Amino acid sequence: MEKQIKRTILEQARDWFRSDRKVILVRVVQTWGSSPCPVGSKMIVNDKGEFFGSVSGGCVESNVIEECLDLIKNNNSFKQLEFKVSDDNAWNVGLACGGELKIYIEKIIS
Amino acid sequence: MKLQILNEIIHKKSSNQKFALLTNLTNGNSEIFEFGKLLSNDFESYKKQIEEYHSLKRNGLIDGSQIFIQNFTKPIEVFVVGAVHIAQYLVDLFKNLNFVITIVDPRKYFVTDERFPNVKIINDWPEEIFKKLQTDSNNALITLTHDPKIDDPALKHALKNKFFYIGALGSKKTHTKRCQRLKESGFTEDEIASIHGPIGIKLGGKSGPEIALSIVSQLVLESNKLLLNSNK
Repeated sequence: MEKQIKRTILEQARDWFRSDRKVILVRVVQTWGSSPCPVGSKMIVNDKGEFFGSVSGGCVESNVIEECLDLIKNNNSFKQLEFKVSDDNAWNVGLACGGELKIYIEKIIS
Repeated sequence: MKLQILNEIIHKKSSNQKFALLTNLTNGNSEIFEFGKLLSNDFESYKKQIEEYHSLKRNGLIDGSQIFIQNFTKPIEVFVVGAVHIAQYLVDLFKNLNFVITIVDPRKYFVTDERFPNVKIINDWPEEIFKKLQTDSNNALITLTHDPKIDDPALKHALKNKFFYIGALGSKKTHTKRCQRLKESGFTEDEIASIHGPIGIKLGGKSGPEIALSIVSQLVLESNKLLLNSNK
Protein backbone atom coordinates (compact mmCIF):
# COMPACT_ATOMS: atom_id res chain seq x y z
CA MET A 1 0.00 0.00 0.00
CA GLU A 2 1.33 3.42 -0.92
CA LYS A 3 2.11 5.53 2.13
CA GLN A 4 0.82 9.04 2.13
CA ILE A 5 3.37 11.79 2.60
CA LYS A 6 2.31 14.02 5.45
CA ARG A 7 1.43 17.57 4.45
CA THR A 8 2.63 20.40 6.61
CA ILE A 9 0.19 22.90 8.08
CA LEU A 10 1.45 25.63 5.75
CA GLU A 11 1.10 23.40 2.67
CA GLN A 12 -2.46 22.69 3.71
CA ALA A 13 -3.08 26.45 4.04
CA ARG A 14 -1.82 26.98 0.50
CA ASP A 15 -4.02 24.19 -0.84
CA TRP A 16 -7.08 25.70 0.81
CA PHE A 17 -6.22 29.10 -0.61
CA ARG A 18 -5.83 27.62 -4.10
CA SER A 19 -9.26 26.04 -3.86
CA ASP A 20 -10.75 29.46 -3.07
CA ARG A 21 -11.19 29.00 0.67
CA LYS A 22 -10.57 31.94 2.98
CA VAL A 23 -7.67 30.97 5.22
CA ILE A 24 -6.56 32.29 8.60
CA LEU A 25 -3.11 31.55 10.03
CA VAL A 26 -3.07 31.35 13.84
CA ARG A 27 0.15 31.52 15.85
CA VAL A 28 1.12 31.57 19.53
CA VAL A 29 3.20 34.74 20.00
CA GLN A 30 3.61 34.88 23.78
CA THR A 31 3.03 32.58 26.76
CA TRP A 32 3.15 32.96 30.55
CA GLY A 33 3.22 30.13 33.04
CA SER A 34 2.57 26.63 31.83
CA SER A 35 1.06 26.30 28.40
CA PRO A 36 1.22 23.16 26.32
CA CYS A 37 2.08 24.72 22.97
CA PRO A 38 5.27 26.78 22.76
CA VAL A 39 5.60 30.20 21.12
CA GLY A 40 5.52 29.73 17.36
CA SER A 41 2.92 26.93 17.40
CA LYS A 42 0.66 27.11 14.37
CA MET A 43 -2.89 26.36 13.42
CA ILE A 44 -4.93 27.16 10.30
CA VAL A 45 -8.65 27.75 10.02
CA ASN A 46 -10.80 28.13 6.89
CA ASP A 47 -14.17 29.78 6.28
CA LYS A 48 -15.94 26.43 6.72
CA GLY A 49 -14.55 26.22 10.26
CA GLU A 50 -12.17 23.38 9.40
CA PHE A 51 -8.84 23.52 11.19
CA PHE A 52 -5.41 21.88 11.35
CA GLY A 53 -2.65 22.20 13.92
CA SER A 54 -2.92 23.32 17.51
CA VAL A 55 -2.19 26.31 19.73
CA SER A 56 -3.14 25.06 23.19
CA GLY A 57 -3.77 21.34 23.28
CA GLY A 58 -7.52 21.75 23.00
CA CYS A 59 -8.28 24.43 25.65
CA VAL A 60 -8.95 27.46 23.44
CA GLU A 61 -9.22 26.10 19.90
CA SER A 62 -13.01 26.41 19.66
CA ASN A 63 -12.86 30.04 20.69
CA VAL A 64 -10.00 30.74 18.29
CA ILE A 65 -12.01 29.23 15.40
CA GLU A 66 -14.94 31.53 16.21
CA GLU A 67 -12.61 34.53 16.28
CA CYS A 68 -11.23 33.48 12.88
CA LEU A 69 -14.72 33.18 11.41
CA ASP A 70 -15.52 36.67 12.78
CA LEU A 71 -12.35 38.05 11.23
CA ILE A 72 -13.44 36.66 7.84
CA LYS A 73 -17.03 37.90 8.26
CA ASN A 74 -15.92 41.42 9.21
CA ASN A 75 -13.31 41.45 6.46
CA ASN A 76 -10.45 42.30 8.82
CA SER A 77 -6.90 41.18 8.20
CA PHE A 78 -5.46 40.47 11.64
CA LYS A 79 -6.18 40.45 15.38
CA GLN A 80 -4.48 39.63 18.67
CA LEU A 81 -6.25 37.39 21.17
CA GLU A 82 -5.40 36.87 24.81
CA PHE A 83 -6.44 33.93 26.94
CA LYS A 84 -6.14 33.89 30.71
CA VAL A 85 -7.41 31.52 33.33
CA SER A 86 -8.93 34.48 35.16
CA ASP A 87 -11.14 35.45 32.24
CA ASP A 88 -14.85 35.82 32.96
CA ASN A 89 -15.53 33.11 30.45
CA ALA A 90 -13.04 30.77 32.10
CA TRP A 91 -15.68 28.08 32.26
CA ASN A 92 -15.91 28.08 28.50
CA VAL A 93 -12.42 28.50 27.25
CA GLY A 94 -10.21 28.95 30.30
CA LEU A 95 -6.84 27.28 30.36
CA ALA A 96 -7.04 24.43 32.83
CA CYS A 97 -3.24 24.44 33.02
CA GLY A 98 -3.24 27.90 34.63
CA GLY A 99 -1.20 29.42 31.84
CA GLU A 100 -1.83 32.49 29.74
CA LEU A 101 -1.24 32.98 26.09
CA LYS A 102 -1.32 35.59 23.39
CA ILE A 103 -2.37 34.49 19.94
CA TYR A 104 -2.12 36.30 16.61
CA ILE A 105 -4.56 35.52 13.84
CA GLU A 106 -4.11 36.80 10.28
CA LYS A 107 -5.75 36.32 6.93
CA ILE A 108 -3.78 34.90 3.98
CA ILE A 109 -4.14 37.42 1.15
CA SER A 110 -3.09 37.28 -2.52
CA MET B 1 0.10 37.46 5.39
CA LYS B 2 0.65 37.53 1.67
CA LEU B 3 0.42 34.28 -0.28
CA GLN B 4 3.83 35.05 -1.77
CA ILE B 5 5.41 34.87 1.70
CA LEU B 6 3.58 31.65 2.51
CA ASN B 7 4.90 30.14 -0.75
CA GLU B 8 8.42 31.31 0.05
CA ILE B 9 8.28 29.68 3.50
CA ILE B 10 7.04 26.39 2.03
CA HIS B 11 9.79 26.44 -0.57
CA LYS B 12 12.56 27.27 1.91
CA LYS B 13 11.35 24.67 4.38
CA SER B 14 11.25 21.93 1.76
CA SER B 15 14.80 22.78 0.69
CA ASN B 16 15.93 22.69 4.35
CA GLN B 17 17.03 26.32 4.57
CA LYS B 18 17.56 28.26 7.79
CA PHE B 19 15.54 31.48 7.98
CA ALA B 20 13.01 33.37 10.08
CA LEU B 21 9.61 34.92 9.53
CA LEU B 22 9.20 38.43 10.92
CA THR B 23 5.77 39.89 11.60
CA ASN B 24 4.87 43.37 12.75
CA LEU B 25 1.84 42.63 14.91
CA THR B 26 0.60 46.23 14.81
CA ASN B 27 0.09 46.39 11.04
CA GLY B 28 0.24 42.74 9.92
CA ASN B 29 3.30 43.18 7.66
CA SER B 30 5.48 40.10 7.32
CA GLU B 31 8.90 39.51 5.85
CA ILE B 32 11.45 36.70 5.50
CA PHE B 33 14.74 37.19 7.37
CA GLU B 34 18.08 35.59 6.53
CA PHE B 35 21.55 36.66 7.62
CA GLY B 36 22.84 39.37 5.31
CA LYS B 37 19.44 40.26 3.87
CA LEU B 38 18.30 43.88 3.89
CA LEU B 39 15.22 44.60 5.95
CA SER B 40 12.34 46.96 5.21
CA ASN B 41 11.38 49.93 7.40
CA ASP B 42 9.08 47.81 9.53
CA PHE B 43 12.00 45.79 10.88
CA GLU B 44 15.27 47.60 10.08
CA SER B 45 15.61 49.32 13.48
CA TYR B 46 15.45 45.93 15.27
CA LYS B 47 18.04 44.27 13.04
CA LYS B 48 20.57 43.58 15.81
CA GLN B 49 18.02 41.94 18.11
CA ILE B 50 16.53 39.99 15.22
CA GLU B 51 19.97 38.57 14.41
CA GLU B 52 20.50 37.66 18.04
CA TYR B 53 17.13 35.90 18.36
CA HIS B 54 17.78 34.08 15.10
CA SER B 55 21.22 32.86 16.25
CA LEU B 56 19.68 31.51 19.44
CA LYS B 57 16.73 30.00 17.53
CA ARG B 58 14.48 31.91 19.92
CA ASN B 59 10.87 32.50 18.85
CA GLY B 60 8.98 35.42 20.33
CA LEU B 61 8.38 39.13 20.53
CA ILE B 62 11.56 41.20 20.25
CA ASP B 63 11.97 42.88 23.67
CA GLY B 64 9.99 46.09 23.96
CA SER B 65 8.38 45.79 20.53
CA GLN B 66 5.49 44.27 18.63
CA ILE B 67 7.85 42.51 16.22
CA PHE B 68 7.39 38.74 16.28
CA ILE B 69 10.13 36.44 15.09
CA GLN B 70 9.54 32.80 14.22
CA ASN B 71 12.59 30.74 13.32
CA PHE B 72 12.69 27.92 10.84
CA THR B 73 15.72 25.82 11.60
CA LYS B 74 17.56 23.43 9.38
CA PRO B 75 16.44 19.95 10.38
CA ILE B 76 19.08 17.53 11.61
CA GLU B 77 20.04 15.08 8.87
CA VAL B 78 20.25 11.55 10.17
CA PHE B 79 22.17 8.85 8.30
CA VAL B 80 21.00 5.34 9.02
CA VAL B 81 23.49 2.70 7.95
CA GLY B 82 21.73 -0.60 7.36
CA ALA B 83 18.41 -0.92 5.50
CA VAL B 84 17.29 -3.54 8.01
CA HIS B 85 13.84 -3.95 9.56
CA ILE B 86 14.62 -1.59 12.48
CA ALA B 87 15.33 1.10 9.86
CA GLN B 88 11.79 0.67 8.54
CA TYR B 89 10.38 1.44 11.99
CA LEU B 90 12.79 4.37 12.36
CA VAL B 91 11.41 5.93 9.18
CA ASP B 92 7.89 5.78 10.64
CA LEU B 93 8.91 7.29 13.97
CA PHE B 94 10.96 10.10 12.43
CA LYS B 95 8.09 11.16 10.20
CA ASN B 96 6.58 13.61 12.70
CA LEU B 97 9.88 14.97 14.05
CA ASN B 98 12.17 17.65 12.66
CA PHE B 99 14.73 15.24 11.19
CA VAL B 100 15.64 14.40 7.61
CA ILE B 101 16.57 10.76 7.18
CA THR B 102 18.85 9.08 4.64
CA ILE B 103 19.29 5.31 4.56
CA VAL B 104 22.55 3.86 3.40
CA ASP B 105 23.32 0.22 2.59
CA PRO B 106 25.72 -1.37 0.09
CA ARG B 107 23.64 -4.57 -0.05
CA LYS B 108 21.25 -4.32 -2.98
CA TYR B 109 18.65 -6.78 -1.65
CA PHE B 110 18.03 -4.55 1.35
CA VAL B 111 17.73 -1.36 -0.67
CA THR B 112 14.39 -1.41 -2.43
CA ASP B 113 11.63 1.12 -2.88
CA GLU B 114 9.11 -1.46 -1.69
CA ARG B 115 10.86 -1.75 1.65
CA PHE B 116 11.45 1.99 1.92
CA PRO B 117 8.86 4.07 0.06
CA ASN B 118 9.06 7.87 0.40
CA VAL B 119 12.51 8.01 1.96
CA LYS B 120 15.93 8.86 0.58
CA ILE B 121 17.91 5.65 0.26
CA ILE B 122 21.38 5.14 -1.23
CA ASN B 123 22.76 1.79 -2.37
CA ASP B 124 26.50 2.24 -1.82
CA TRP B 125 29.25 1.90 0.79
CA PRO B 126 29.18 4.58 3.52
CA GLU B 127 32.78 5.60 2.69
CA GLU B 128 31.85 6.37 -0.91
CA ILE B 129 28.69 8.24 0.05
CA PHE B 130 30.33 10.43 2.69
CA LYS B 131 33.12 11.37 0.26
CA LYS B 132 30.52 13.19 -1.83
CA LEU B 133 28.64 14.91 1.01
CA GLN B 134 29.18 17.92 3.23
CA THR B 135 28.58 16.81 6.82
CA ASP B 136 29.08 18.45 10.21
CA SER B 137 27.73 18.74 13.75
CA ASN B 138 24.18 19.11 12.39
CA ASN B 139 24.30 15.43 11.41
CA ALA B 140 23.57 12.24 13.29
CA LEU B 141 24.56 8.67 12.56
CA ILE B 142 22.80 5.44 13.46
CA THR B 143 24.54 2.23 12.46
CA LEU B 144 22.42 -0.91 12.38
CA THR B 145 24.29 -3.59 10.42
CA HIS B 146 26.78 -4.54 13.20
CA ASP B 147 29.02 -5.62 10.34
CA PRO B 148 32.37 -3.88 10.87
CA LYS B 149 33.10 -3.50 7.19
CA ILE B 150 29.90 -1.51 6.70
CA ASP B 151 29.50 0.24 10.09
CA ASP B 152 33.10 1.10 10.97
CA PRO B 153 33.88 3.44 8.07
CA ALA B 154 30.65 5.34 8.81
CA LEU B 155 31.51 5.60 12.52
CA LYS B 156 35.00 6.87 11.70
CA HIS B 157 33.60 9.49 9.35
CA ALA B 158 31.05 10.64 11.94
CA LEU B 159 33.71 10.91 14.68
CA LYS B 160 36.06 12.90 12.44
CA ASN B 161 33.29 15.25 11.33
CA LYS B 162 31.93 15.73 14.85
CA PHE B 163 28.39 14.47 14.29
CA PHE B 164 26.34 15.57 17.31
CA TYR B 165 24.92 12.09 17.78
CA ILE B 166 26.48 8.72 16.94
CA GLY B 167 24.79 5.49 17.92
CA ALA B 168 25.74 1.92 17.07
CA LEU B 169 23.50 -1.13 17.37
CA GLY B 170 25.04 -4.27 18.84
CA SER B 171 25.45 -6.09 22.14
CA LYS B 172 27.89 -4.98 24.83
CA LYS B 173 30.35 -7.57 23.56
CA THR B 174 30.04 -6.35 19.97
CA HIS B 175 30.48 -2.79 21.16
CA THR B 176 33.60 -3.61 23.19
CA LYS B 177 35.19 -5.14 20.10
CA ARG B 178 34.10 -2.12 18.07
CA CYS B 179 35.71 0.27 20.56
CA GLN B 180 38.92 -1.77 20.41
CA ARG B 181 39.05 -1.48 16.61
CA LEU B 182 38.48 2.27 16.75
CA LYS B 183 41.21 2.62 19.36
CA GLU B 184 43.60 0.77 17.09
CA SER B 185 42.62 3.19 14.31
CA GLY B 186 43.84 6.07 16.47
CA PHE B 187 40.64 7.48 18.00
CA THR B 188 40.87 8.80 21.57
CA GLU B 189 39.02 7.35 24.56
CA ASP B 190 36.79 10.46 24.68
CA GLU B 191 35.89 10.20 21.03
CA ILE B 192 35.05 6.53 21.36
CA ALA B 193 33.04 7.16 24.53
CA SER B 194 30.88 9.66 22.64
CA ILE B 195 29.38 6.80 20.64
CA HIS B 196 26.09 5.59 22.11
CA GLY B 197 26.62 1.84 22.24
CA PRO B 198 24.69 -0.30 22.74
CA ILE B 199 22.39 2.22 21.08
CA GLY B 200 19.17 3.61 22.58
CA ILE B 201 17.79 4.43 26.00
CA LYS B 202 16.76 1.47 28.13
CA LEU B 203 13.06 0.81 27.55
CA GLY B 204 13.41 -2.90 28.25
CA GLY B 205 11.92 -3.96 24.91
CA LYS B 206 13.40 -6.34 22.40
CA SER B 207 11.09 -6.05 19.37
CA GLY B 208 12.02 -4.04 16.28
CA PRO B 209 9.55 -1.19 16.90
CA GLU B 210 10.61 -0.94 20.55
CA ILE B 211 14.31 -0.78 19.67
CA ALA B 212 13.53 1.86 17.04
CA LEU B 213 11.58 3.85 19.66
CA SER B 214 14.49 3.66 22.11
CA ILE B 215 16.88 4.94 19.41
CA VAL B 216 14.61 7.82 18.38
CA SER B 217 14.08 8.74 22.06
CA GLN B 218 17.82 8.94 22.62
CA LEU B 219 18.36 11.05 19.53
CA VAL B 220 15.57 13.45 20.52
CA LEU B 221 16.99 13.70 24.04
CA GLU B 222 20.46 14.54 22.72
CA SER B 223 19.14 17.06 20.19
CA ASN B 224 17.15 18.86 22.89
CA LYS B 225 20.25 19.01 25.11
CA LEU B 226 22.04 20.62 22.18
CA LEU B 227 19.31 23.24 21.83
CA LEU B 228 19.30 23.98 25.57
CA ASN B 229 23.07 24.44 25.63
CA SER B 230 23.00 26.84 22.71
CA ASN B 231 20.35 28.93 24.52
CA LYS B 232 22.38 29.31 27.72
